[in-house]
This record gives sequence, structure tokens and C-alpha cells, in this order.
Amino acid sequence: MSIQFKSITELNELLNSKAISVSELTQESIQLAKKYSELNCFVTLNEENSLKRASTMNRDQKNSSLLSGIPLAQKDLFCTEGLRTTCSSKILSDFIPPYTATVVKKLEDDGSITIGKTNMDEFAMGSSNETSFFGGVHNPWKKGFVPGGSSGGSAAAVAAGIVPAATGTDTGGSIRQPAAHCGITGLKPTYGRISRWGMIAFASSLDQAGPLARSAEDCAILLNSMSGYDSKDTTSLNSDVPNFLEDINQSIKGKKIGIIKEFNLSDLDTEVQKRFDESKKAYENLGAEFFEVSLPNISASVPTYYSIAPAECSSNLSRYDGVRFGHRAENTKDLNDLYIKSRSEGFGDEVKRRILIGTYALSAGYYDAYYKKAQQVRRLIKNDFDQVFKSIDLLMTPTSPNTAFKFESKGIQNPVELYLEDLFTISSNLAGLPAISIPHGQVNSLPVGLQLIGNFLREDQLLNAAHVFQQNSDFHNAKPDLENF
Amino acid sequence: MDQETVRTICYLARLEIDHNKSEKIQKDLETIVELIGSLQSIDTSDIEPLYNPLEMTAFKHEDLEMSDNKKNKFLKNAAESNEDYFLVPRVVE
Repeated sequence: MSIQFKSITELNELLNSKAISVSELTQESIQLAKKYSELNCFVTLNEENSLKRASTMNRDQKNSSLLSGIPLAQKDLFCTEGLRTTCSSKILSDFIPPYTATVVKKLEDDGSITIGKTNMDEFAMGSSNETSFFGGVHNPWKKGFVPGGSSGGSAAAVAAGIVPAATGTDTGGSIRQPAAHCGITGLKPTYGRISRWGMIAFASSLDQAGPLARSAEDCAILLNSMSGYDSKDTTSLNSDVPNFLEDINQSIKGKKIGIIKEFNLSDLDTEVQKRFDESKKAYENLGAEFFEVSLPNISASVPTYYSIAPAECSSNLSRYDGVRFGHRAENTKDLNDLYIKSRSEGFGDEVKRRILIGTYALSAGYYDAYYKKAQQVRRLIKNDFDQVFKSIDLLMTPTSPNTAFKFESKGIQNPVELYLEDLFTISSNLAGLPAISIPHGQVNSLPVGLQLIGNFLREDQLLNAAHVFQQNSDFHNAKPDLENF
Repeated sequence: MDQETVRTICYLARLEIDHNKSEKIQKDLETIVELIGSLQSIDTSDIEPLYNPLEMTAFKHEDLEMSDNKKNKFLKNAAESNEDYFLVPRVVE
């Protein structure tokens, strides 16, 4: 029996009815990963350990969590004790973490099985998965096209039906944009909702872990497990975590959805715009009401982000010095030379570019002009969100201005071209707000994503609105043709 | 941004750029600095910077002794170490 493309709920039914065992399910998932190895979704497969774990699992139907015996993939920036964790970088290509990230531990404590670590943009810096030391990931919908990034391996593994769900991280859109490009659902929770402990840092005030799955319902199952306070992360939120499945079926009649005036959607590709108008109509038919809202500073999100994120990155990545862990250069003449050579050999071009920009923005004489200025604009952006959420429940935008594109077709001559891919996603990271991307049709046989942004800690509203949409449409059930890949 | 500035930033970041890539890097950095420089036109007088979206004080936990010594595991990840320390090239003659 094929388990490919099955949801977590469907897999639970198969396990409960004993149509399949946990070992068979794990084996099947690993076989799919191998069968579609050309996609390059995985940096490391956890075959031996996951099969061993599966064979020892006693699945008690009555008391089992919904994740018990379910195969998952983890983005390769979550530390996994004893299992290589590379961040898709040469500098960590041999790194075996001495501990496991809280997120992975929580998911595994609920019975899930980590079948492997997924490919990504190096240190999560990119929007196309092309900056990985281990090579780009192919979009399951079209060979030679990017899956989006930075959680491109996770998105492609879910879209190809290898696993029902995977973890990702989102610093400026890195869950939502690949989810959109691969035709799946991806949720970036509120900043602080999920522990960052053991998650290799890129930009600490923006990074947030979240789930990627084939439906909002499966995302809710993962979010239930991943969320919660962790004393090991000082930015972890000590607030109640609701059961995200509880109200997921509620009617959305009377929900107020805002359309952001400053995003001029008429500049978009006509077909992308058409999908957006159709989804707006679908939400109206479900009883939602639409309002035009103004976020006067939102257009400044991209420059704000590209000042703050590289600054935090340059600080976080200063730990890679070839001394305690990671790549170490040979034949160095002194300690300084060891630092310079280890880092220069270990980091790829995009990572270097961002470290340099961040170093510049933080250096004497420029700190106020670039870094502090960006953090001031960030407050203006957050204030704008606070204002609009007084009168509306959700905001709706496209996830990305475009569909997936061909390898090496963007950002080669000018990196800013690729940075503008994040136009619609970045602002919720700056403000710390939750946002979700759901598939809502295709353009030229490639999936297009719809983004909903929610108020602080209102992932329940996002999942509810996404689930109700999916109950009344079929876009999330579309499958790529992988037989002739 | 001139080549001298690029060299200074590279040194501060402890990075070396291949000679044949330095012109491209300089051009890329100029483009990005121009992008982030566009923020100058926004009036931010009297606006406090927002360094973290939560703006919370870090939670303090009780000052309890905890034993979680993973020294050997941590040393194992280093390219060069002895049983107690990470090893680096000699810094004192």
C-alpha cells in the first residue's frame, strides 16, 4: 500500500486499523526519499536510527498522540543529538550536535519519527534554496525550477508526498514562500510561540520555527506539539497554548479580512492577481467581509529587514571560527589566520555577503544610520499592524509576487532582485506576527500561495480560516506528477 | 563604497574575498547599502528602536545548581583538542 501523499489523519487511520505498522510506514517513507533522491530534499537520511525506533514503538491506540509513529523530516538547522546537522553549509558539514533542539524533542516525545534532515539555503539565507553547499533542491512540480527557500528541502519533501509534514524556520518568509512555490501549507507562528533552543541562529529577533504540511489541519497537529514555553530560550513566551484543532472547523462568517492598500496588486502577474481575486471571492462566499486597510510604512519592510537580518547574522555567525566546532582550515600561521581561513573556506558567497553587510551596518559611524534607523522603522511597521488589528481579524496578501522560477535565473547579477521575492512575507517577521501560506491554484502549471497574517498569538484564527477554505476547495489536494520527473 | 572600505569590513568580519570576486562583491554591497539607505527618507524622530518584537524582560529562573556536563561531547566536535581544552595555534611566544 502506498503511503505517499497521505495526511497525518489518514496515516493514523491506517495505523489504528493495523493496515500498516509503524515499521512499515517508516520504511515506506524512507524508500520514497530514496526513490526521489533526484529532488535533493535530504542532506542526511536517518535510516538506521528511525527504523530501530519504529521497531520498538508500541502504539497504543487509545492513548497515542496523533503524531505517534508518523514519519517527519526536520530542517537541517535543528540540532539532533548524534545525527549530523549541517545548516547546508560546508562549515558545519561534519557537525554532530551534542544535544537535540527542543522542537525536535517535543515532536519525538509525541511519538513522531525523524526520517531525515532536509536541505535548505545555507544558514537559511536565501529564497530559492540555491545557496546550499549540498546543491539546489528541485521543485517537485517542475524539474529545474526552485522550490523556494530557505526551507526548500522540507517543502519539496512534503509536496512530493515523502513525509506528511516537516519542520521549517521562517526569518523573512522561509516557511511560507517555499510552501507557496511547492503547493503546500506552511505556518510561521508568533515570535516566541516555539522555542528556538537548538535551532541554529540566523537572525535571532526574527527566526521562528513552524510546520509545513499538506493541509492546515496537519499544520495544527504539529503546532500543538511544537509550541510552548521553554526555559532554555529567553525569548520563549510563557503563555497558554490552546489546542489548535479545537476551533479549526468554526464558521468564518463575519470575519473581517483586510487588504493592504500599499501593496499594489495590479503590479502583479495578471494570473497571480486573478487567483487572488478568486480566493477573495471564495472567502466572501464563506461569509468573510473585506476591508481596505492602510499600513503606511509596510513598503519599507524589505530595506528594514535587509539591515536588521544581516546585522544579527554577522553577530551570530561570529561563533564559527574553526576552534570549537565546524570546519577548520589547515596550514595556518597564527590564530587570526586560522579564523580568517576557516571562515573564508567554510562560508558560501551569500552568507559572506550578508555577514559583510551586517558588519558594515554595525560598524562605528554607521550603526545609527543603518541598524538603529532600521529598528526605528521596524517599530513604525509594528505600530501600523497594531492599529489595523484593532478593527480587523486577518490580513490577506499573495505569499509571493511570482511562482517558482528556474535555477540561476534570479539574483545572479543583482542580489536585491531576489530579496524582493520576500516583499509580502517580511513584515510579519519584523512585527513578530503569525502568518500562513495556503495553496490556491496554479499559474503555468506551478502552484501559487495565498497568505493570511494574524494578530499576535492568533494562530487559531489563521488555521481556522485556512482549514475552512481547504474544506471548500481542492487546491491543497493537487499532486505533482513525479513518475516522469 | 570603495575597495578600501570593503577590505576593512572583510577584516572586521574575519573574511577573505577571492581576488576575482572582489569587484562583484563591492558592487553587490553598494546595491544593498543603497537599498537599506532608502530608509533615511522616513521620519523616525522620537521613535524608540524595536530590537525585539516581544519587548519583554527575559524570564528569570531560580538560581539552582544543575549538573549537565557534556565536556567530552563538546570537545569531540573540535578539529583539535586534548582531554580538557580546545587547541589553537600558539598565541604566546
